[in-house]
Amino acid sequence: MTNNTLTGPPRSQSPQAPDARPATTALDVVKRLLPKSYLLLVLLAIIIIGYYVSPDFLTARNAQNVIAAASITAVLAIGQFFVILTGGIDLSVGSTLAMSTVIIALTLQSGMNAGLATGVTLAACAFAGLINGVLIVWLRIPPFIATLAMMSAIKGFSYIIQSTSLIQITNQAFINAFSSGSWLWVRNPVAIFIVVAVVAALVAKFTTFGRSLYAIGGNPEAARLSGLPVARNLLITYTLSGFLAGLAGLIAAAQLQQGSSLIGVGYELDAIAAVVVGGASLMGGKGDPISAVIGVFVLATIINIMNLVGISSEPQLVIKGAVIIIAVFLSSAGGVQRISSFFSSHFGRSRSAATAH
Amino acid sequence: MTDELRLTGITKGYLGVQALKGVDLTVKHGTIHALAGQNGAGKSTLIKIISGAETPDGGTMYLGGEQKKFREPIDAQNAGIHTIYQELSLVPSLSVAENIFLGQLPKRGRTAVDWGTMQSGARAALDRVGFDLDVRRPVGSFSVAQQQAVELAKALHKDARLLLLDEPTSTLPLPDVERLFTVLRSVAEQGVTLLYISHRMDELYSLCHEVTVLRDGRKTAEFDTTTSTASEVVTAMVGKSLQGSIADAALRGERSPRLGSGHTAEVLMAVAGLGEDERVEDVSFELRKGEVLGISGLIGSGQSELAGLLAGARRKSTGTIKLDNKAVVFKNPRDAIRRGIGLLPQDRKAEGFIPDMGVAGNITLASLPMFSRLSVIDSRAEKKVATQMVERLGMKVSSVNQPMKTLSGGTQQKGILARWLARSSRLLICDEPTRGVDVGAKEDMYELIRDFARSGGTVIISSSEITEAMMCDRVLVMARGRVVAEFEHDDIDPQGHALISEFA
Repeated sequence: MTNNTLTGPPRSQSPQAPDARPATTALDVVKRLLPKSYLLLVLLAIIIIGYYVSPDFLTARNAQNVIAAASITAVLAIGQFFVILTGGIDLSVGSTLAMSTVIIALTLQSGMNAGLATGVTLAACAFAGLINGVLIVWLRIPPFIATLAMMSAIKGFSYIIQSTSLIQITNQAFINAFSSGSWLWVRNPVAIFIVVAVVAALVAKFTTFGRSLYAIGGNPEAARLSGLPVARNLLITYTLSGFLAGLAGLIAAAQLQQGSSLIGVGYELDAIAAVVVGGASLMGGKGDPISAVIGVFVLATIINIMNLVGISSEPQLVIKGAVIIIAVFLSSAGGVQRISSFFSSHFGRSRSAATAH
Repeated sequence: MTDELRLTGITKGYLGVQALKGVDLTVKHGTIHALAGQNGAGKSTLIKIISGAETPDGGTMYLGGEQKKFREPIDAQNAGIHTIYQELSLVPSLSVAENIFLGQLPKRGRTAVDWGTMQSGARAALDRVGFDLDVRRPVGSFSVAQQQAVELAKALHKDARLLLLDEPTSTLPLPDVERLFTVLRSVAEQGVTLLYISHRMDELYSLCHEVTVLRDGRKTAEFDTTTSTASEVVTAMVGKSLQGSIADAALRGERSPRLGSGHTAEVLMAVAGLGEDERVEDVSFELRKGEVLGISGLIGSGQSELAGLLAGARRKSTGTIKLDNKAVVFKNPRDAIRRGIGLLPQDRKAEGFIPDMGVAGNITLASLPMFSRLSVIDSRAEKKVATQMVERLGMKVSSVNQPMKTLSGGTQQKGILARWLARSSRLLICDEPTRGVDVGAKEDMYELIRDFARSGGTVIISSSEITEAMMCDRVLVMARGRVVAEFEHDDIDPQGHALISEFA
């Protein structure tokens, strides 16, 4: 191969100096960071509101409850995030979660050792995700349809293998590992979700796999023409989503101490909502896993506050819907920029911070 | 003969770009009038204005001597102007009769559709274009040629007086083209006026009475097809770009126009009988190491598809490709990239880059394994190479993390070129490398290609721009998917007449 590139002398014509920015003021810094960190600000605002409306809100006990409840959705949302990053969607994760609880309950009931049962369950859920991937990549069925069909098929499969109404889980080792136990003063489900979130964040930002998912979601044709392994990475992504749904199912099963195909109805929508609240675009190519997790907490905290102040569950749904709309408007629809440009054009001197040439 | 359509001084600008700079056009009643021009000459804008899809900034339009102003396409249709686009606008699941009567279904009583009247009406309309189809069958079950007939019948049924046809033959097999022409001639004899757009010169000359040539938003010439030749039309179409270009500079002896610096005798790639359905047929050539090979032709002649085949972006249906004397099969772009081939796609936005990803990420996209260990990206190495590329290619960016979508067309194109330089590609396939790129960046691109060739790289440039083809060491001219001529650089006359005469 000709090595004609990296060692070549720089061309005489140097790049034009990037447009000279005016000295950065504190206001500019805020303006630049605002769209990125707005989610944390929103979460902070919600927490402050919670503090004022309910004395029980800012207690260690309540915080623990919120985090424990959110950890299941958070694990689901991280898997969903990677799928949405590629421009796809996975509607089957709620069903997969239910299947996970059923399989773990059945295998434990049959006397299998907890570690092996966990492995079998996760493998089965990952396999369900792999089927999603195969349908999408090789049969070219749109993700929405493929995972909708799988949502139904997996649910039916869980009913069939479950055969009774629900199966109790009595294996203390398992319950301990996924629910009641703790590690370094952190309860195990929380530790699991933190580990998953950190690994996911690193994978998304620093690995070739993560980079290629951003590329596939951002422009699939350009990704293909650049020689990225598009089919392989999509298969991995859907398998991963199934695997994480299985993991979330294990946490749910340990918390409820039972396996049932009725668990997890609507969880896929909660996960999708959290991901889009976290700033990802359903068109793909945008967002990050940590924001998806923050999205989970925004929604979970609001629900928690509403529970504390005694709002019944029906108005809760309405408010949750409104929160999703507002959050998505602020992030994906460029609401922060639109509002700030509205204010700067009406109330400030037009200080153009445009970066386009 | 009276003038059916007369336009004077039509202007139209989009966001600072003047697409039409005062176009005059006169089409006589009952004739077939051709509109010719390169991409970006303003043909489609003009068609949009005549059909009411756009409103002009200035100028006047007369239809049958009456001044007209259209705000919406429906205004133009009510005035008798109907457009038949490349992509047909029929509803595939509805029957032929329903499509022809769409929007004005005959009624029996208040709500019931009068099927009998509709079907006999549809048959009569189809008869006017010489087709006999089962009008109850859904449109989608017919061939493209038959669907076109339905579309024509629909327009005639709605009392069209002026038909605008935008490249109607681009999706038709040859025998159907003949049949369509027969229909169009008979339609014209029925007193309907036709304005016909096509890039295929032989079609213009076998079908049309007159040709108006647009270039850079102006009318540059008008020909009577009985007293002119196709190459005169092509000259009028492409004549512009010589001025101020490298080729122009070269003509005045200021600068070498050649992109290549002379090739070796070693054959890098040998192609034999390569084809893809009817788009590319039986292409054979040898490409030598260090050569800059041009593949030229009017738009839609197959040069872009050929570029895609050679880069593994498309699948061949026949023929063989040998690389370094070994037969290769490209199942996907990955196979070609692995062997050192890089493609600069024609449609940058749709195929070239990841819009929200930074410049650095876009540059290293094809060579991620080189910037990673155990699939963890070495960000410092990545940034270093990206910075080098940005400097070397003179890319105007504020930082290597600037999102690609915020850059100018020329800088984006350089970014994609940098992707293949970072990959140490040895064969660069450029499909219309300077389309949508401003003049300065254009010269830069040529200089970069020249650098690449000088340091031992091999280049294929697929282009519909004559000046670009003239800068190559060797040029293959394509027409209708086949290579029709081959020129060495030195055999091409300074004005490119040799090429142009083969285009037609």
